[in-house]
Amino acid sequence: MSPNKNTSPLIWGATALGALGVAGTYAAAGPERFWANWILWFVLMFTLGLGALFIVALEHLVSARWSVPIRRLPERLSTLLLPAIPVGLIALGAIPVLYPGARPEAAHHPILAGKAFWLGLPFFSVRTLIAFALCLLGLAVLVRGSMKQDSTRDPAFNIRARKFAPAFMAIFALVITLIAFDWISGLTPEWYSDIFGVYVFAGAFLSALAATTLSVLYLQNQNRLEGVKGDHLYNLGAFLFGFTVFWSYIGFAQYMLMWYANLPDEVIYYKVRLAGAWRAITISLAFLHFILPFFALVTRDSKKDPKRMRRVAFLMLGAHVLDMYWLIFPVLGPKPYFSWPELSFALFFIGGILLWVRGAMQKGEDMPVGDPFLREGLEFRL
Amino acid sequence: MSETSYAVLGIFDTPNALMAAIPKARAANLGTVEAYTPYPIHGIDEALGLRKSPLGGMVLVMGIIGALTAFGFQYWISAVDYPIITGGKPAGSWEAFIPIMFEVTVLFATFTAGLGMLLLLNKLPFFGHPILTSKAIAGITRDRYVLALEAEDEGFDSAAATQALLAAGAVEVEVLPAPDRSPFLTSAFILRTLGGIFVACLVAGVAIYSLTKWFPLLKPMVYMQDQPRLNPQKASTFFKDGHGMQKPVPGTVARGYLPTAVGSQDASATLVNPLPRTPDVFAVGKKVYTTRCEVCHGAIGNGSGSLTSAYGAKAGNLQSQQFRDYPDGKIYWAIVHGKNAMPSHAPYLTERERWAVVHYVRALQRAQNAKDEDLKVAP
Repeated sequence: MSPNKNTSPLIWGATALGALGVAGTYAAAGPERFWANWILWFVLMFTLGLGALFIVALEHLVSARWSVPIRRLPERLSTLLLPAIPVGLIALGAIPVLYPGARPEAAHHPILAGKAFWLGLPFFSVRTLIAFALCLLGLAVLVRGSMKQDSTRDPAFNIRARKFAPAFMAIFALVITLIAFDWISGLTPEWYSDIFGVYVFAGAFLSALAATTLSVLYLQNQNRLEGVKGDHLYNLGAFLFGFTVFWSYIGFAQYMLMWYANLPDEVIYYKVRLAGAWRAITISLAFLHFILPFFALVTRDSKKDPKRMRRVAFLMLGAHVLDMYWLIFPVLGPKPYFSWPELSFALFFIGGILLWVRGAMQKGEDMPVGDPFLREGLEFRL
Repeated sequence: MSETSYAVLGIFDTPNALMAAIPKARAANLGTVEAYTPYPIHGIDEALGLRKSPLGGMVLVMGIIGALTAFGFQYWISAVDYPIITGGKPAGSWEAFIPIMFEVTVLFATFTAGLGMLLLLNKLPFFGHPILTSKAIAGITRDRYVLALEAEDEGFDSAAATQALLAAGAVEVEVLPAPDRSPFLTSAFILRTLGGIFVACLVAGVAIYSLTKWFPLLKPMVYMQDQPRLNPQKASTFFKDGHGMQKPVPGTVARGYLPTAVGSQDASATLVNPLPRTPDVFAVGKKVYTTRCEVCHGAIGNGSGSLTSAYGAKAGNLQSQQFRDYPDGKIYWAIVHGKNAMPSHAPYLTERERWAVVHYVRALQRAQNAKDEDLKVAP
């Protein structure tokens, strides 16, 4: 995070190295492992971008003022949806490989055969395309409109965004549920959980909050966010704190009901994840995603401490990666895979995301200077 | 100065004037500096040098204690004091404890926060703060900003405090006399109140008890008994055969009673006793033998038990060559299925008890037919 050093060659190099590994994975480790990794990173990119767009829409929905000075950062982060869409289109190739509902054997399976229309490749793709189109609509109204306002200074945008925000919340709920049910839960089509979309939403919102926090600290390091204070950081910290609890509440509620009822088609999901090496991953997920950030952020001062907030934000991003890995990778078998293919994918996608976000951080002004509420936001005190 | 005053109030017109006066008032070091304003002023906590509230730490500690209390209590109830298997789960299942732990954590934490703030930190009940009797209070609730120098002890110098506040820029100064302490919260009052609550509880308890005893129609909380569930040994319209109790599905096996000796006795000859020959196992075998086998087969297994002398029962002589040559599996089969007049003992002997008694029978046989090397003293 040192602004003076030129890290571009390093990131480009790591991304290129990762790309080699990604290509090698398909040839050497087989298509199933390749697609599992690909879906993991597609979901991560997509939830990060969508979560950032949710933060933007949330501000407009409730007419929040404190977050106006930092709104440009989630707006820039939400442009990650643009590269996530081609990644998602490529991921459609995984459907006949990894998704039991779209494989030829499904025709002989009484449950899957009955849902062939919903789980099959054509309608699966159509739903994904609809989700992408809705995301683009959200980006166009909320993010492009806000960027335009920098030069026009037209307050009409605020009214338009406020009217659009409630509709976007419905869109958001639909899109995140489709992504969660189709792309993640679809890997185990005989397993149901009504709360699953909410669980994925909690992770998505947390990861976007963590990325926003890191962006705020990164730009503050470069003296580009004049007037953004510890009070703003405190609110981000309070959100992070609250939603780690929300995530664990949803996660545990889902687990406990299935554990209590002990129905074979439900508990199998946790049986797989509580056996062998997955057990250690499950326990460390609870620790990294809940207990550690909870106690790291429990005091009032820790939410204003940039160093502490940076560490917790990195931790939350890492925990979100682990969470999605925990959801997706058991489809490959009882043994958790972690070796050079996973590292290459991580290098390639993290490098790519960093390059994209760094580019995006130069787009437009650092604050929404055309927003009439910017001044009020800068004067925000706890 | 005849009487110690409670405080001297300096009245300011603007919040900025108040903020500017705070450092001067604190530097005068005459008493506790306190500010009274119509609305919260940013930065006033730091300017007054208020220490951070200890409430957060108290809440955290009490919350953790609440969680541990709930866990410990539930664990003790369900795994130590009276273990009951519910829904096939192990007795100390932490998953089931979490909701209660959460509730008790919240209960402890909110009580600590609420009572700690009111009683411990704000020192309530404290009816009628002296500031409410001042002339300045009307302005404080509207558009005046007041800085008070409050007396800390008997030596409070209100004249010096007045001078200090005027020097700090107060437009007006008011000396607030010491309040006449209300006799409201005397110990007699507290005792009367607690006594009243106690008597009220007693009366309510006795009344409810008598009502439910003499007027059974008013019996509260019997809904759990009245539910339309299936009762054992009762008729039911739910099942076709009209019985509330149903036979288990054919092939049902009870936990710990896996059938190993199926088929004929000769087919069971190859079964191997899975238990080691340890003192524990022999103790189990001896207990089972004495309670189940001895009455017929006799204390040493020679087929002459107490039923033989009383009723002439002719039980098998386990010391005979035929039974000494029996493999373990055939004895086991006889215990499970019964033989001749001997009934099956399977319904009330666990797998472990059956095999333990086989070991014990072998020991009885060996005891009556000891070999020379058995006389060696075990090290």
